[in-house]
Amino acid sequence: MILEDLNLEGKVAVITGGGTGLGKAMSHALAGAGADVVVAARRVGPIEETASEVRGMGRRALAISTDVADSQQVERMVERAISELGKVDILINNAGIGGEQVTKPIWEITDEEWRIGIDTNLTGAFYCSRAVGRHMVERGSGRVINISSGYGLRGGRDNFMYCCAKAGVVLLTRSLALTWARDGVRVNCIVPGFFATVPLDRPEIRQYIESTARFNPMGRVGEPGDVGPLAVFLASEASDYVTGEIFCIDGGGLAGGYTPTGYAPIIPLKG
Amino acid sequence: MILREFSLEGKLAIVAGNGRGWGNYLAIALAEAGADIVIAAPGGKGIEETAKKVRKMGRRALAISTDIAKSSEVEEMVERAISEFGKIDILVNSPDLEFARPFLEVSDEEWDQVMNINLRSVFLCTRAVGKHMLERKTGRVINVVPGLAVRGLSNCTAYCAAKGGVLQLTKALSQEWARGNIRVNAIGHGWFSEEERSEEEQLKDPLVRYIPLRRLGRPRDLSGLVVLLASDACDYINGQVLFADGGVLAHV
Ligand SMILES: NC(=O)c1ccc[n+]([C@@H]2O[C@H](COP(=O)([O-])OP(=O)(O)OC[C@H]3O[C@@H](n4cnc5c(N)ncnc54)[C@H](OP(=O)(O)O)[C@@H]3O)[C@@H](O)[C@H]2O)c1
Repeated sequence: MILEDLNLEGKVAVITGGGTGLGKAMSHALAGAGADVVVAARRVGPIEETASEVRGMGRRALAISTDVADSQQVERMVERAISELGKVDILINNAGIGGEQVTKPIWEITDEEWRIGIDTNLTGAFYCSRAVGRHMVERGSGRVINISSGYGLRGGRDNFMYCCAKAGVVLLTRSLALTWARDGVRVNCIVPGFFATVPLDRPEIRQYIESTARFNPMGRVGEPGDVGPLAVFLASEASDYVTGEIFCIDGGGLAGGYTPTGYAPIIPLKG
Repeated sequence: MILREFSLEGKLAIVAGNGRGWGNYLAIALAEAGADIVIAAPGGKGIEETAKKVRKMGRRALAISTDIAKSSEVEEMVERAISEFGKIDILVNSPDLEFARPFLEVSDEEWDQVMNINLRSVFLCTRAVGKHMLERKTGRVINVVPGLAVRGLSNCTAYCAAKGGVLQLTKALSQEWARGNIRVNAIGHGWFSEEERSEEEQLKDPLVRYIPLRRLGRPRDLSGLVVLLASDACDYINGQVLFADGGVLAHV
Protein backbone atom coordinates (compact mmCIF):
# COMPACT_ATOMS: atom_id res chain seq x y z
CA MET A 1 0.00 0.00 0.00
CA ILE A 2 1.31 3.34 -1.03
CA LEU A 3 0.80 5.11 2.31
CA GLU A 4 2.79 2.37 4.04
CA ASP A 5 5.65 2.89 1.59
CA LEU A 6 6.02 6.39 3.02
CA ASN A 7 6.54 5.14 6.55
CA LEU A 8 10.05 5.78 7.93
CA GLU A 9 9.82 3.78 11.14
CA GLY A 10 13.14 2.17 12.02
CA LYS A 11 15.13 4.50 9.76
CA VAL A 12 17.87 6.85 10.90
CA ALA A 13 18.29 10.24 9.23
CA VAL A 14 21.16 12.74 9.45
CA ILE A 15 20.02 16.29 8.74
CA THR A 16 22.65 19.01 8.54
CA GLY A 17 21.56 22.50 9.47
CA GLY A 18 18.62 20.88 11.24
CA GLY A 19 18.45 23.41 14.06
CA THR A 20 16.62 26.12 12.11
CA GLY A 21 14.45 26.87 9.09
CA LEU A 22 13.94 24.20 6.47
CA GLY A 23 16.25 21.74 8.26
CA LYS A 24 14.19 21.94 11.42
CA ALA A 25 10.96 21.49 9.45
CA MET A 26 12.39 18.43 7.67
CA SER A 27 13.57 17.00 11.01
CA HIS A 28 10.02 17.28 12.33
CA ALA A 29 8.56 15.78 9.15
CA LEU A 30 10.90 12.78 9.09
CA ALA A 31 10.39 12.16 12.80
CA GLY A 32 6.65 12.47 12.24
CA ALA A 33 6.92 9.74 9.61
CA GLY A 34 8.76 7.57 12.12
CA ALA A 35 12.49 8.20 11.65
CA ASP A 36 15.13 8.75 14.31
CA VAL A 37 17.05 11.93 13.63
CA VAL A 38 20.62 13.20 13.99
CA VAL A 39 20.74 16.98 13.82
CA ALA A 40 24.13 18.45 12.89
CA ALA A 41 25.14 22.12 12.72
CA ARG A 42 27.61 24.40 14.45
CA ARG A 43 25.53 26.05 17.19
CA VAL A 44 24.52 23.72 20.00
CA GLY A 45 21.40 25.62 21.10
CA PRO A 46 19.24 25.23 17.99
CA ILE A 47 20.19 21.61 17.29
CA GLU A 48 19.57 20.62 20.92
CA GLU A 49 16.16 22.23 20.65
CA THR A 50 15.25 20.30 17.48
CA ALA A 51 16.57 17.08 19.01
CA SER A 52 14.43 17.49 22.11
CA GLU A 53 11.37 18.22 19.94
CA VAL A 54 12.05 15.01 18.01
CA ARG A 55 12.31 13.09 21.30
CA GLY A 56 9.02 14.67 22.28
CA MET A 57 7.55 12.99 19.20
CA GLY A 58 8.69 9.64 20.56
CA ARG A 59 11.75 9.19 18.37
CA ARG A 60 15.43 8.93 19.18
CA ALA A 61 17.48 12.04 18.45
CA LEU A 62 21.07 13.20 18.66
CA ALA A 63 22.38 16.74 18.38
CA ILE A 64 25.98 16.76 17.20
CA SER A 65 27.76 20.09 16.87
CA THR A 66 29.47 19.96 13.48
CA ASP A 67 31.00 22.37 10.99
CA VAL A 68 30.25 20.72 7.64
CA ALA A 69 33.13 22.62 6.05
CA ASP A 70 35.57 20.65 8.23
CA SER A 71 35.95 17.08 6.94
CA GLN A 72 37.28 15.73 10.24
CA GLN A 73 34.28 17.02 12.14
CA VAL A 74 32.01 15.50 9.51
CA GLU A 75 33.73 12.11 9.79
CA ARG A 76 33.41 12.19 13.59
CA MET A 77 29.74 13.18 13.38
CA VAL A 78 28.93 10.29 11.06
CA GLU A 79 30.93 7.81 13.17
CA ARG A 80 29.04 8.89 16.26
CA ALA A 81 25.68 8.69 14.51
CA ILE A 82 26.42 5.14 13.38
CA SER A 83 27.82 4.01 16.73
CA GLU A 84 24.92 5.44 18.75
CA LEU A 85 22.00 4.78 16.40
CA GLY A 86 23.39 1.78 14.56
CA LYS A 87 23.28 3.04 10.98
CA VAL A 88 22.37 5.93 8.71
CA ASP A 89 19.61 5.38 6.13
CA ILE A 90 18.97 8.97 5.10
CA LEU A 91 21.24 11.99 4.68
CA ILE A 92 19.83 15.46 4.06
CA ASN A 93 22.52 17.94 3.02
CA ASN A 94 20.76 21.11 4.05
CA ALA A 95 23.39 23.22 5.85
CA GLY A 96 24.05 26.37 3.91
CA ILE A 97 24.79 30.05 4.03
CA GLY A 98 23.93 32.71 1.58
CA GLY A 99 20.85 33.88 -0.13
CA GLU A 100 20.42 37.60 -0.25
CA GLN A 101 23.01 38.38 2.46
CA VAL A 102 25.90 37.46 0.21
CA THR A 103 24.98 39.52 -2.84
CA LYS A 104 27.41 42.33 -3.54
CA PRO A 105 29.49 43.72 -6.41
CA ILE A 106 31.99 41.10 -7.52
CA TRP A 107 35.01 43.26 -6.69
CA GLU A 108 33.92 43.57 -3.09
CA ILE A 109 33.80 39.83 -2.48
CA THR A 110 36.86 38.69 -0.56
CA ASP A 111 38.75 35.46 -1.17
CA GLU A 112 37.66 34.40 2.29
CA GLU A 113 33.94 35.04 1.68
CA TRP A 114 34.05 33.08 -1.56
CA ARG A 115 35.97 30.21 0.02
CA ILE A 116 33.80 29.90 3.12
CA GLY A 117 30.64 30.07 1.01
CA ILE A 118 31.73 27.35 -1.40
CA ASP A 119 33.13 25.26 1.48
CA THR A 120 29.85 25.35 3.38
CA ASN A 121 27.32 25.04 0.56
CA LEU A 122 29.09 22.68 -1.82
CA THR A 123 32.11 21.10 -0.15
CA GLY A 124 30.06 20.43 2.99
CA ALA A 125 27.59 18.38 0.94
CA PHE A 126 30.52 16.54 -0.64
CA TYR A 127 32.13 15.78 2.77
CA CYS A 128 28.86 14.51 4.24
CA SER A 129 28.01 12.43 1.18
CA ARG A 130 31.49 10.93 1.20
CA ALA A 131 31.35 10.11 4.90
CA VAL A 132 27.87 8.57 4.80
CA GLY A 133 28.11 7.17 1.28
CA ARG A 134 30.58 4.39 1.97
CA HIS A 135 28.39 3.15 4.81
CA MET A 136 25.30 3.28 2.58
CA VAL A 137 27.00 1.56 -0.35
CA GLU A 138 28.28 -1.20 1.95
CA ARG A 139 24.76 -1.75 3.29
CA GLY A 140 23.35 -1.59 -0.24
CA SER A 141 20.76 0.99 0.72
CA GLY A 142 20.41 4.68 1.39
CA ARG A 143 18.81 7.98 0.48
CA VAL A 144 20.66 11.25 -0.01
CA ILE A 145 18.66 14.46 -0.38
CA ASN A 146 20.58 17.58 -1.31
CA ILE A 147 19.11 21.02 -0.79
CA SER A 148 20.01 23.33 -3.66
CA SER A 149 18.17 26.56 -4.48
CA GLY A 150 16.37 28.28 -7.33
CA TYR A 151 19.67 30.14 -7.61
CA GLY A 152 21.31 26.83 -8.50
CA LEU A 153 19.30 26.86 -11.72
CA ARG A 154 19.04 30.54 -12.58
CA GLY A 155 21.37 33.49 -12.35
CA GLY A 156 21.13 36.26 -9.82
CA ARG A 157 22.47 39.79 -10.02
CA ASP A 158 25.51 40.19 -7.77
CA ASN A 159 24.96 36.60 -6.67
CA PHE A 160 28.11 34.58 -7.39
CA MET A 161 29.24 32.22 -4.66
CA TYR A 162 25.71 31.11 -3.82
CA CYS A 163 24.61 30.49 -7.43
CA CYS A 164 27.81 28.61 -8.25
CA ALA A 165 27.75 26.51 -5.09
CA LYS A 166 24.06 25.62 -5.45
CA ALA A 167 24.49 24.75 -9.15
CA GLY A 168 27.32 22.51 -7.99
CA VAL A 169 24.94 20.80 -5.59
CA VAL A 170 22.62 19.96 -8.52
CA LEU A 171 25.37 18.20 -10.43
CA LEU A 172 26.77 16.58 -7.30
CA THR A 173 23.29 15.07 -7.02
CA ARG A 174 23.22 13.78 -10.57
CA SER A 175 26.74 12.35 -10.56
CA LEU A 176 26.23 10.64 -7.19
CA ALA A 177 22.90 9.26 -8.44
CA LEU A 178 24.58 7.69 -11.47
CA THR A 179 27.52 6.45 -9.44
CA TRP A 180 25.50 4.74 -6.70
CA ALA A 181 22.56 3.66 -8.85
CA ARG A 182 23.51 -0.01 -8.60
CA ASP A 183 24.29 0.16 -4.89
CA GLY A 184 20.77 0.77 -3.70
CA VAL A 185 21.45 4.42 -2.92
CA ARG A 186 19.11 7.05 -4.36
CA VAL A 187 20.26 10.65 -4.62
CA ASN A 188 17.86 13.49 -5.34
CA CYS A 189 17.75 17.23 -4.99
CA ILE A 190 15.20 19.65 -3.59
CA VAL A 191 15.25 23.14 -5.09
CA PRO A 192 13.36 25.51 -2.80
CA GLY A 193 12.10 28.83 -4.04
CA PHE A 194 11.80 31.63 -1.52
CA PHE A 195 10.94 30.42 1.98
CA ALA A 196 10.31 32.59 5.01
CA THR A 197 12.85 31.11 7.42
CA VAL A 198 14.06 34.32 9.04
CA PRO A 199 12.32 35.75 12.10
CA LEU A 200 9.64 38.15 10.94
CA ASP A 201 10.09 40.63 13.81
CA ARG A 202 11.73 43.37 11.73
CA PRO A 203 9.34 45.46 9.58
CA GLU A 204 11.76 45.62 6.62
CA ILE A 205 11.92 41.83 6.57
CA ARG A 206 8.14 41.58 6.61
CA GLN A 207 7.98 44.08 3.78
CA TYR A 208 10.59 42.18 1.78
CA ILE A 209 8.66 38.94 2.18
CA GLU A 210 5.38 40.59 1.21
CA SER A 211 6.87 42.06 -1.94
CA THR A 212 8.43 38.70 -2.83
CA ALA A 213 5.09 36.96 -2.31
CA ARG A 214 3.36 39.34 -4.67
CA PHE A 215 5.66 38.24 -7.49
CA ASN A 216 5.09 34.56 -6.89
CA PRO A 217 2.45 32.90 -9.11
CA MET A 218 0.71 31.54 -6.02
CA GLY A 219 0.91 34.86 -4.22
CA ARG A 220 2.77 33.50 -1.24
CA VAL A 221 6.27 32.53 -0.21
CA GLY A 222 7.06 29.05 1.03
CA GLU A 223 6.46 27.98 4.61
CA PRO A 224 9.17 25.69 6.03
CA GLY A 225 6.50 23.03 6.58
CA ASP A 226 5.93 22.88 2.80
CA VAL A 227 9.14 20.91 2.25
CA GLY A 228 8.44 18.30 4.94
CA PRO A 229 6.23 15.91 2.93
CA LEU A 230 8.52 16.12 -0.09
CA ALA A 231 11.49 15.17 2.09
CA VAL A 232 9.50 12.26 3.52
CA PHE A 233 8.63 11.05 0.02
CA LEU A 234 12.27 11.21 -1.12
CA ALA A 235 13.47 9.48 2.06
CA SER A 236 10.97 6.65 1.71
CA GLU A 237 10.45 3.46 -0.29
CA ALA A 238 7.80 5.32 -2.30
CA SER A 239 10.60 6.95 -4.30
CA ASP A 240 12.50 3.74 -5.06
CA TYR A 241 12.64 4.38 -8.85
CA VAL A 242 13.44 8.08 -8.47
CA THR A 243 17.09 9.08 -8.64
CA GLY A 244 19.16 11.97 -9.97
CA GLU A 245 16.00 14.06 -10.11
CA ILE A 246 15.44 17.71 -9.22
CA PHE A 247 12.34 18.66 -7.24
CA CYS A 248 11.59 22.37 -7.47
CA ILE A 249 9.21 23.59 -4.81
CA ASP A 250 8.60 27.23 -5.51
CA GLY A 251 4.90 27.84 -6.12
CA GLY A 252 5.52 27.84 -9.86
CA GLY A 253 8.14 30.60 -9.96
CA LEU A 254 10.65 28.83 -12.18
CA ALA A 255 7.94 27.44 -14.47
CA GLY A 256 6.99 31.00 -15.31
CA GLY A 257 10.57 32.22 -15.56
CA TYR A 258 9.99 34.63 -12.68
CA THR A 259 8.18 37.12 -14.87
CA PRO A 260 5.81 39.50 -13.11
CA THR A 261 2.66 37.53 -12.45
CA GLY A 262 -0.67 38.97 -13.41
CA TYR A 263 0.76 40.43 -16.61
CA ALA A 264 -1.29 38.34 -19.00
CA PRO A 265 -2.71 40.23 -21.95
CA ILE A 266 -5.42 38.67 -24.08
CA ILE A 267 -4.50 38.56 -27.77
CA PRO A 268 -7.35 37.44 -30.06
CA LEU A 269 -6.67 35.50 -33.27
CA LYS A 270 -6.51 37.72 -36.33
CA GLY A 271 -7.84 36.93 -39.82
CA MET B 1 1.00 12.54 11.99
CA ILE B 2 2.49 13.68 8.72
CA LEU B 3 1.62 10.48 6.84
CA ARG B 4 -2.04 11.35 7.21
CA GLU B 5 -1.46 14.45 5.06
CA PHE B 6 -0.83 12.11 2.11
CA SER B 7 -4.23 10.50 2.51
CA LEU B 8 -6.74 11.11 -0.28
CA GLU B 9 -9.77 9.96 1.68
CA GLY B 10 -12.93 11.80 0.69
CA LYS B 11 -11.41 13.02 -2.58
CA LEU B 12 -12.57 12.24 -6.08
CA ALA B 13 -10.02 11.66 -8.81
CA ILE B 14 -10.67 11.41 -12.54
CA VAL B 15 -8.08 9.40 -14.42
CA ALA B 16 -8.47 10.14 -18.12
CA GLY B 17 -6.67 8.26 -20.86
CA ASN B 18 -7.00 6.17 -23.96
CA GLY B 19 -6.88 2.88 -22.12
CA ARG B 20 -3.15 2.43 -22.61
CA GLY B 21 -0.14 3.29 -20.51
CA TRP B 22 -0.32 4.26 -16.88
CA GLY B 23 -3.97 5.15 -16.31
CA ASN B 24 -5.12 1.94 -14.66
CA TYR B 25 -2.13 1.75 -12.34
CA LEU B 26 -2.43 5.36 -11.29
CA ALA B 27 -6.12 4.85 -10.54
CA ILE B 28 -5.19 1.98 -8.23
CA ALA B 29 -2.49 4.05 -6.52
CA LEU B 30 -4.90 6.92 -5.87
CA ALA B 31 -7.49 4.49 -4.52
CA GLU B 32 -4.85 2.92 -2.25
CA ALA B 33 -4.37 6.36 -0.78
CA GLY B 34 -8.11 6.61 -0.21
CA ALA B 35 -9.58 8.39 -3.25
CA ASP B 36 -12.76 7.52 -5.09
CA ILE B 37 -12.13 7.08 -8.80
CA VAL B 38 -13.67 7.92 -12.13
CA ILE B 39 -11.79 6.24 -14.93
CA ALA B 40 -12.45 7.70 -18.34
CA ALA B 41 -11.18 6.04 -21.50
CA PRO B 42 -12.61 4.57 -24.70
CA GLY B 43 -14.78 1.64 -23.55
CA GLY B 44 -13.62 -1.87 -23.23
CA LYS B 45 -13.02 -4.30 -20.42
CA GLY B 46 -9.89 -2.58 -19.18
CA ILE B 47 -11.49 0.35 -17.40
CA GLU B 48 -14.36 -1.72 -15.99
CA GLU B 49 -11.83 -4.16 -14.50
CA THR B 50 -9.95 -1.30 -12.90
CA ALA B 51 -13.17 0.09 -11.47
CA LYS B 52 -13.93 -3.35 -10.01
CA LYS B 53 -10.50 -3.51 -8.41
CA VAL B 54 -11.03 -0.09 -6.87
CA ARG B 55 -14.41 -1.13 -5.46
CA LYS B 56 -12.80 -4.22 -3.94
CA MET B 57 -10.48 -1.84 -2.10
CA GLY B 58 -13.53 -0.28 -0.47
CA ARG B 59 -13.65 2.86 -2.61
CA ARG B 60 -16.30 4.06 -5.00
CA ALA B 61 -15.47 3.81 -8.68
CA LEU B 62 -17.07 4.56 -11.98
CA ALA B 63 -15.79 3.61 -15.44
CA ILE B 64 -17.09 6.04 -18.07
CA SER B 65 -16.44 5.10 -21.66
CA THR B 66 -15.13 8.30 -23.23
CA ASP B 67 -13.41 9.37 -26.40
CA ILE B 68 -11.12 11.83 -24.63
CA ALA B 69 -10.25 13.65 -27.84
CA LYS B 70 -13.92 14.55 -28.39
CA SER B 71 -15.17 17.67 -26.69
CA SER B 72 -18.81 16.64 -26.23
CA GLU B 73 -17.90 13.26 -24.76
CA VAL B 74 -15.43 14.82 -22.34
CA GLU B 75 -18.02 17.38 -21.19
CA GLU B 76 -20.58 14.63 -20.63
CA MET B 77 -18.09 12.52 -18.70
CA VAL B 78 -17.22 15.42 -16.40
CA GLU B 79 -20.88 16.30 -15.81
CA ARG B 80 -21.63 12.72 -14.94
CA ALA B 81 -18.69 12.54 -12.54
CA ILE B 82 -19.91 15.67 -10.77
CA SER B 83 -23.50 14.51 -10.58
CA GLU B 84 -22.46 11.12 -9.14
CA PHE B 85 -19.75 12.29 -6.74
CA GLY B 86 -20.62 15.94 -6.18
CA LYS B 87 -17.15 17.25 -6.98
CA ILE B 88 -13.76 16.61 -8.56
CA ASP B 89 -10.56 17.17 -6.58
CA ILE B 90 -7.95 15.57 -8.80
CA LEU B 91 -7.53 15.15 -12.55
CA VAL B 92 -4.87 12.83 -13.91
CA ASN B 93 -4.35 13.03 -17.67
CA SER B 94 -2.53 9.96 -18.88
CA PRO B 95 -3.27 9.43 -22.56
CA ASP B 96 -0.61 7.70 -24.58
CA LEU B 97 -0.59 7.05 -28.30
CA GLU B 98 2.87 5.90 -29.32
CA PHE B 99 3.99 6.62 -32.85
CA ALA B 100 7.28 6.54 -34.73
CA ARG B 101 7.93 7.22 -38.39
CA PRO B 102 10.56 9.18 -40.31
CA PHE B 103 9.49 12.80 -40.26
CA LEU B 104 9.09 13.17 -44.05
CA GLU B 105 6.71 10.20 -44.14
CA VAL B 106 4.32 11.47 -41.48
CA SER B 107 0.90 12.10 -43.04
CA ASP B 108 -1.45 14.93 -42.09
CA GLU B 109 -3.83 12.39 -40.58
CA GLU B 110 -1.13 10.72 -38.49
CA TRP B 111 0.08 14.04 -37.18
CA ASP B 112 -3.47 15.05 -36.23
CA GLN B 113 -4.19 11.77 -34.51
CA VAL B 114 -1.00 11.87 -32.48
CA MET B 115 -1.82 15.42 -31.44
CA ASN B 116 -5.47 14.65 -30.73
CA ILE B 117 -4.89 11.75 -28.39
CA ASN B 118 -1.74 12.99 -26.69
CA LEU B 119 -2.30 16.75 -26.47
CA ARG B 120 -5.81 17.83 -27.42
CA SER B 121 -7.31 15.34 -24.94
CA VAL B 122 -5.32 16.98 -22.16
CA PHE B 123 -6.67 20.37 -23.23
CA LEU B 124 -10.26 19.12 -23.36
CA CYS B 125 -10.24 17.23 -20.05
CA THR B 126 -8.43 19.99 -18.19
CA ARG B 127 -10.73 22.68 -19.55
CA ALA B 128 -13.84 20.74 -18.60
CA VAL B 129 -12.62 19.82 -15.11
CA GLY B 130 -10.84 23.12 -14.52
CA LYS B 131 -14.02 25.15 -14.79
CA HIS B 132 -15.43 23.17 -11.89
CA MET B 133 -12.17 23.33 -9.90
CA LEU B 134 -11.91 27.10 -10.31
CA GLU B 135 -15.44 27.50 -8.98
CA ARG B 136 -14.54 25.46 -5.91
CA LYS B 137 -11.15 27.18 -5.69
CA THR B 138 -9.30 23.93 -5.17
CA GLY B 139 -7.86 21.23 -7.37
CA ARG B 140 -4.89 19.26 -8.59
CA VAL B 141 -4.10 18.52 -12.22
CA ILE B 142 -1.41 15.94 -12.91
CA ASN B 143 -0.26 15.20 -16.45
CA VAL B 144 1.65 12.03 -17.18
CA VAL B 145 4.49 12.27 -19.71
CA PRO B 146 7.34 10.06 -20.96
CA GLY B 147 11.00 11.06 -21.09
CA LEU B 148 10.38 12.02 -24.73
CA ALA B 149 8.56 15.11 -23.45
CA VAL B 150 11.99 16.56 -22.63
CA ARG B 151 14.47 14.74 -24.86
CA GLY B 152 14.47 14.04 -28.56
CA LEU B 153 14.46 10.77 -30.48
CA SER B 154 14.68 10.19 -34.21
CA ASN B 155 11.50 9.05 -35.95
CA CYS B 156 9.51 10.34 -32.98
CA THR B 157 9.12 14.00 -33.89
CA ALA B 158 5.33 14.05 -33.83
CA TYR B 159 5.17 12.15 -30.55
CA CYS B 160 7.88 14.32 -28.96
CA ALA B 161 6.13 17.50 -30.10
CA ALA B 162 2.82 16.36 -28.61
CA LYS B 163 4.35 15.31 -25.30
CA GLY B 164 6.47 18.46 -25.13
CA GLY B 165 3.24 20.33 -25.73
CA VAL B 166 1.73 18.71 -22.65
CA LEU B 167 4.65 19.99 -20.60
CA GLN B 168 4.26 23.54 -21.86
CA LEU B 169 0.53 23.31 -21.18
CA THR B 170 1.47 22.27 -17.65
CA LYS B 171 3.82 25.19 -17.09
CA ALA B 172 1.60 27.88 -18.58
CA LEU B 173 -1.56 26.72 -16.86
CA SER B 174 0.27 26.43 -13.54
CA GLN B 175 0.73 30.18 -13.79
CA GLU B 176 -2.79 30.97 -14.90
CA TRP B 177 -4.52 28.97 -12.19
CA ALA B 178 -2.05 29.44 -9.34
CA ARG B 179 -4.18 32.07 -7.62
CA GLY B 180 -7.25 29.93 -8.17
CA ASN B 181 -5.64 27.46 -5.78
CA ILE B 182 -5.17 24.83 -8.46
CA ARG B 183 -1.82 23.14 -8.85
CA VAL B 184 -0.79 21.91 -12.28
CA ASN B 185 2.15 19.52 -12.44
CA ALA B 186 3.42 16.63 -14.51
CA ILE B 187 4.95 13.30 -13.60
CA GLY B 188 7.39 11.63 -15.92
CA HIS B 189 8.28 8.02 -16.51
CA GLY B 190 11.04 6.19 -18.31
CA TRP B 191 10.86 2.80 -19.97
CA PHE B 192 8.59 0.44 -18.14
CA SER B 193 7.22 -3.05 -18.39
CA GLU B 194 3.96 -4.46 -17.12
CA GLU B 195 5.36 -7.96 -16.63
CA GLU B 196 7.77 -8.84 -13.88
CA ARG B 197 11.01 -9.99 -15.43
CA SER B 198 14.06 -11.23 -13.56
CA GLU B 199 16.98 -8.88 -13.25
CA GLU B 200 19.15 -11.27 -15.24
CA GLU B 201 16.73 -11.41 -18.10
CA GLN B 202 16.30 -7.65 -18.08
CA LEU B 203 20.03 -7.08 -18.35
CA LYS B 204 20.09 -8.82 -21.75
CA ASP B 205 18.12 -5.85 -23.03
CA PRO B 206 20.56 -3.10 -24.14
CA LEU B 207 17.96 -0.52 -23.14
CA VAL B 208 18.06 -1.73 -19.55
CA ARG B 209 21.83 -1.46 -19.47
CA TYR B 210 21.36 2.21 -20.24
CA ILE B 211 19.08 2.74 -17.23
CA PRO B 212 21.19 3.66 -14.19
CA LEU B 213 19.02 1.54 -11.84
CA ARG B 214 19.38 -1.42 -14.25
CA ARG B 215 15.73 -2.35 -14.35
CA LEU B 216 12.65 -1.26 -16.24
CA GLY B 217 10.02 0.72 -14.40
CA ARG B 218 7.25 -1.22 -12.73
CA PRO B 219 3.58 -0.27 -12.69
CA ARG B 220 3.94 0.86 -9.06
CA ASP B 221 6.88 3.16 -9.68
CA LEU B 222 4.74 6.25 -10.29
CA SER B 223 2.42 5.61 -7.35
CA GLY B 224 4.34 7.66 -4.79
CA LEU B 225 4.70 10.67 -7.08
CA VAL B 226 1.06 10.78 -8.10
CA VAL B 227 -0.11 10.52 -4.50
CA LEU B 228 2.37 13.19 -3.38
CA LEU B 229 1.18 15.65 -6.01
CA ALA B 230 -2.51 14.83 -5.54
CA SER B 231 -2.45 15.23 -1.78
CA ASP B 232 -2.79 18.15 0.59
CA ALA B 233 0.74 17.30 1.79
CA CYS B 234 2.03 19.09 -1.21
CA ASP B 235 0.79 22.58 -1.94
CA TYR B 236 3.86 24.55 -3.00
CA ILE B 237 5.04 22.38 -5.93
CA ASN B 238 3.58 23.93 -9.08
CA GLY B 239 4.39 23.91 -12.80
CA GLN B 240 6.93 21.12 -12.40
CA VAL B 241 7.63 17.84 -14.14
CA LEU B 242 8.92 15.20 -11.73
CA PHE B 243 10.40 12.01 -13.11
CA ALA B 244 10.53 8.50 -11.71
CA ASP B 245 12.68 7.01 -14.44
CA GLY B 246 15.43 5.03 -12.77
CA GLY B 247 17.89 7.89 -13.23
CA VAL B 248 17.80 8.04 -17.04
CA LEU B 249 17.56 11.82 -17.16
CA ALA B 250 20.49 12.26 -14.77
CA HIS B 251 22.64 11.48 -17.84
CA VAL B 252 21.17 14.42 -19.71
N1 LIG C 1 15.00 29.97 2.84
C1 LIG C 1 15.03 30.00 1.54
O1 LIG C 1 14.34 30.78 0.92
C2 LIG C 1 15.90 29.06 0.79
C3 LIG C 1 15.76 29.04 -0.60
C4 LIG C 1 16.54 28.17 -1.34
C5 LIG C 1 17.44 27.34 -0.71
N2 LIG C 1 17.58 27.38 0.64
C6 LIG C 1 18.57 26.49 1.25
O2 LIG C 1 17.94 25.71 2.24
C7 LIG C 1 18.88 25.39 3.26
C8 LIG C 1 18.31 25.79 4.61
O3 LIG C 1 18.15 27.19 4.62
P1 LIG C 1 17.24 27.97 5.65
O4 LIG C 1 16.47 28.94 4.89
O5 LIG C 1 16.54 27.02 6.52
O6 LIG C 1 18.34 28.81 6.43
P2 LIG C 1 18.89 28.74 7.92
O7 LIG C 1 17.77 28.77 8.89
O8 LIG C 1 19.95 29.75 8.02
O9 LIG C 1 19.52 27.29 7.98
C9 LIG C 1 20.81 27.01 7.59
C10 LIG C 1 21.39 26.08 8.61
O10 LIG C 1 22.68 25.66 8.19
C11 LIG C 1 23.52 25.62 9.31
N3 LIG C 1 24.89 25.87 8.88
C12 LIG C 1 25.39 26.97 8.28
N4 LIG C 1 26.72 26.84 8.12
C13 LIG C 1 27.06 25.62 8.61
C14 LIG C 1 28.27 24.92 8.73
N5 LIG C 1 29.44 25.44 8.31
N6 LIG C 1 28.25 23.69 9.30
C15 LIG C 1 27.08 23.16 9.73
N7 LIG C 1 25.91 23.78 9.64
C16 LIG C 1 25.90 25.00 9.08
C17 LIG C 1 23.04 26.70 10.24
O11 LIG C 1 23.30 26.36 11.60
P3 LIG C 1 24.63 26.91 12.36
O12 LIG C 1 24.74 28.33 12.01
O13 LIG C 1 24.35 26.65 13.79
O14 LIG C 1 25.77 26.08 11.87
C18 LIG C 1 21.55 26.72 9.98
O15 LIG C 1 20.83 25.94 10.91
C19 LIG C 1 20.16 26.11 2.89
O16 LIG C 1 21.02 25.24 2.22
C20 LIG C 1 19.69 27.20 1.95
O17 LIG C 1 20.68 27.61 1.06
C21 LIG C 1 16.82 28.22 1.39
